[in-house]
Amino acid sequence: MTPSFSRTLNALGLLAITIVLAAAFFDQIVFHDLPCPLCLLQRAGFVGAGIGLALNVKFGPRPSHYAIMILSAFAGGLVSVRQTLLHIIPGEGTYGDAFFGIHFYAWAAAVFGLIALGGAILLLFDRQFAPEAVPGRPTRLALIAVALAAAMALANGISTTLECGGGMCADNPTSYQLLDQMRGK
Amino acid sequence: MMTLPFFGFFVAFALVLAGHRVPSMVIWALSLLAMLTLFKMHATDPLNLVL
Repeated sequence: MTPSFSRTLNALGLLAITIVLAAAFFDQIVFHDLPCPLCLLQRAGFVGAGIGLALNVKFGPRPSHYAIMILSAFAGGLVSVRQTLLHIIPGEGTYGDAFFGIHFYAWAAAVFGLIALGGAILLLFDRQFAPEAVPGRPTRLALIAVALAAAMALANGISTTLECGGGMCADNPTSYQLLDQMRGK
Repeated sequence: MMTLPFFGFFVAFALVLAGHRVPSMVIWALSLLAMLTLFKMHATDPLNLVL
């Protein structure tokens, strides 16, 4: 695998993570399904994994960048498995909407596993780490993918500020705390 | 508090785009630490499981 092809794959991975985050946002805004604290931390895990991909896109593939991707997926996976275990026993109740019959936290656990697996598989291709005679540069489209992921991180930060204010979030949020405070509720 | 990881990761992305590799990785590490600390603060309910 050439460094250039690796950059392209990483940009596509980053776009996939951005789509996952956008889908969560769509559910939040259109169906008023407010994310719980653990849900927010899972989103943060996806954004963290995106940093590793973005580093590969901008600076070229390096093992340390893949480590960032895998460690973030591990951290996000911890949160999603914990939430899945909270609801795994029938009758314990669930949180939020289901997508194709599976709740978002269970989807997140599967996707974090796929991210870690993908990172480990990509690490197998040593040629991508070989020094280039002429240092490669990211394409404009790849940089747009990084910018989109950055915008998604910022949007999540703003949304979380509206939902939780400056403190901790409610365990089962039903409204945007900061907006309620501003309206005097 | 819950916003810290997102804004931290956003700064890390901005540093990537600005061409600052190592500072981006440092901010990523601090943000991940904040995320794990927040997770510890929220994971308080005992799990009804036999492992």
